[in-house]
Amino acid sequence: MTMDDNQFTFDKITSDLTHHIRINKGFLIWMGFLTVSLMVCLYAYSIQLRTGLGVAGIRDYVTWGMYLANFVFFVAASLIGMLISAVLGLIGMKWLTPITRIAETIAVAFAAVAGLVIVSDMGRPERLVYVFLYGRPQSPILWDVTVITTYLVLSLLLLFLPLIADMAIIHRKVDRLPSWLKPIYKVLSLNFTDNPQQNKIINRAIRTLLILLIPAALSIHTVTSWLFAVTSRAGWDSTVFGPYFVSGAFVAGSAAVIIAMFFFRKNYKLQNYLTDLHFNNMGKVLATVSLVYLYFNINEFLVPGYKLKRADAVHLHELFAGKDTLLFWVVQIGGLILPILFMLFHRFRKPLPIMLISVAVLIAAWFKRYIIVIPTQEHPFLPIQHVPQNFVHYSPTLIETMITIAPFILVLIIITLISKFFPVIPLHETAREKGIEHFKFD
Amino acid sequence: MRFINLFIILYVCSIGMTVSAQTWVVPDDQKTVVAPFLFTPEMQKQGEQIYLKNCQSCHGLMGKDNWAKLTPPPGDLSKELAQKQPDGELFYRITVGKAPMPEFRNILSEDERWWVIAYMRSYNPKYIQPNPATKASFAGRIVTLDMKYDDLGKKVVVTANEELKDGQSVHAAGVEVALFVKRFFGKLQVGELKTTNDKGLAIFEFPADLPGNKEGYVEVSAMVNDPKNIMKTTGAIATLAIGKPTDMPSLTEGRAWWATRGKAPVWIILTYTLSVIIVWGFIFYIVYSILKIRKVKKINL
Ligand code: HEC
Repeated sequence: MTMDDNQFTFDKITSDLTHHIRINKGFLIWMGFLTVSLMVCLYAYSIQLRTGLGVAGIRDYVTWGMYLANFVFFVAASLIGMLISAVLGLIGMKWLTPITRIAETIAVAFAAVAGLVIVSDMGRPERLVYVFLYGRPQSPILWDVTVITTYLVLSLLLLFLPLIADMAIIHRKVDRLPSWLKPIYKVLSLNFTDNPQQNKIINRAIRTLLILLIPAALSIHTVTSWLFAVTSRAGWDSTVFGPYFVSGAFVAGSAAVIIAMFFFRKNYKLQNYLTDLHFNNMGKVLATVSLVYLYFNINEFLVPGYKLKRADAVHLHELFAGKDTLLFWVVQIGGLILPILFMLFHRFRKPLPIMLISVAVLIAAWFKRYIIVIPTQEHPFLPIQHVPQNFVHYSPTLIETMITIAPFILVLIIITLISKFFPVIPLHETAREKGIEHFKFD
Repeated sequence: MRFINLFIILYVCSIGMTVSAQTWVVPDDQKTVVAPFLFTPEMQKQGEQIYLKNCQSCHGLMGKDNWAKLTPPPGDLSKELAQKQPDGELFYRITVGKAPMPEFRNILSEDERWWVIAYMRSYNPKYIQPNPATKASFAGRIVTLDMKYDDLGKKVVVTANEELKDGQSVHAAGVEVALFVKRFFGKLQVGELKTTNDKGLAIFEFPADLPGNKEGYVEVSAMVNDPKNIMKTTGAIATLAIGKPTDMPSLTEGRAWWATRGKAPVWIILTYTLSVIIVWGFIFYIVYSILKIRKVKKINL
């Protein structure tokens, strides 16, 4: 399948990377499906708005239910933009070029929706502004809101900057664009003409962004972990929660990127650009971050398990051999240990197997957040006396489940729109790397 | 044999528990107890305040059926189940409580407990108050406490006086007295119960290190322990300078992690603001430089 670099001409690259930018039947059906599903879920949310949070399974014991697990998951998945673009990019891994935009798209989609996910956990969402009006600078909640907003803006800029050159090329060279798209491209391409001065500005801005992105991304997930770790509750009271969350986030994000790569490659016919090499390498990245995550998992469970302080003992027992056992071991073995073992072998890092592994990892990653958030709250230090059973044992309701699914649909919509109307793979950069130095701009 | 013993113990316990879980027996002599005064609108108003502060969290608002979901259910006190009981029965229940209903013996004074009942009864149009118990018709002992502090011995001396039928006052022996100090969340008992001696005295050692306010004042009260409610008693209360002077600034007085926004530690405000300014400074700079891209072309044309 792979071609030599000299077989890539400018016209071929442009056509390969932009031929999917058109409104076809498949797209309309897919978007229609997403929109209808979203409407159904929004209807569930409208019930919650009218009736109150009581329609969800959260009660006085478990006040942070699936919504919070979902929030942590979304923040986690958004972190991948930073790993791929900033960390690996700054090190200078050239093979990443075709993957960077996919990673950034995922980062933007998840970060943008994460803010909405947290609103789903609010009984009075119209009071969200109070966080800004009355927020305390001592509170991790304010930090969280701040860093997520910052990270979202940084990711948007990082998505946009490399697009400038691409849009300049497209609106000049690609004729069969939908007519309403052209003027948008023209405005967004900011009169770019591949002028060295312009390239210098863009490259400088990208470099600055990449450097800013690292602390911002580390902060968003570290602060999210602090929402838990600053309490003294069993299962949350941990000093390694920051890195534990960050490494877990890389696992979820890498899996999401691999899945997206697989579908873009197939649907947009990008086999020449997203090659087996990219899947193989991303498989290695996923295996590496999974190993790091495994290391933190061992820390998280072995150390409290050795000391067995009373509250920890109850908590760990529920996980290892109690109420949450099945979920816990399925997630740990099926979502972490087995994938690591598989990914050690080259044959499992081919596109289809690594995509399937990634799906398993991503699903497990969601349930892992569930395990982190919920069981702890079922064992309060000061139990309330004579409470109804549904206080003690959390079980999500149907409405709650639909409200939890809604953000996923929204993420798919955002990713679909961005990938549909812009090249999934950076056009200008790819051409450069294939040795096409300058474009002829009129 | 062992097994049978164990079985019997378990059996007895379980019966005991079932019975105690279901019944809340008021002794017969308590049912007939009546308030020592006629209820007035004033008292109902006082009672409402006490109710809102001490009872509403469980029993909900009167007549609204919105009590807390507890087992057994507290119920709405304006309704039949409570209102059909005589005053004495209500008074007894409020006095001794039964888990999860707290006992208010040491939390509310007798008068206060009657005021709450006065308030409860204001929701019952059919209620007619029985004649108040007058001192003269009261058959039991009438005991009044007096309290003073013995500086030399560092002791609180409580004197119990009894009013006899002929109006004479004598030292009351054999009266159980409990001593309390007022703390933030209620009254704290000091030492054990003491029984008055022949001279009507009960003497309490007062701990030297009990924190008082800035000047060392603590509110001390003495009460007769009369669980069966067979006496008519008046306690003694005094604010004495016998605590350890303690000047504890409130935990939220200065700047702290847990304080309000206005009292955030300076270094947190600085770190937070600086980080935001620096990062967003860069962001604005980047946006500004992006806008410059447009102009570059014009220059080069
Ligand atoms: C912690 C919760 C709680 C608080 C506070 C509380 N109660 Fe109760 N109360 C209960 C419960 C529970 C019951 C039912 C107990 C039972 O039936 O075994 C009850 C029962 C009663 C009853 C008996 C009702 C009946 O139908 O037999 C009365 C009277 C009463 N409470 C009065 C009061 C008053 C007056 C106050 C405030 C001074 C008060 N309670 C504060 C929980 C509470």
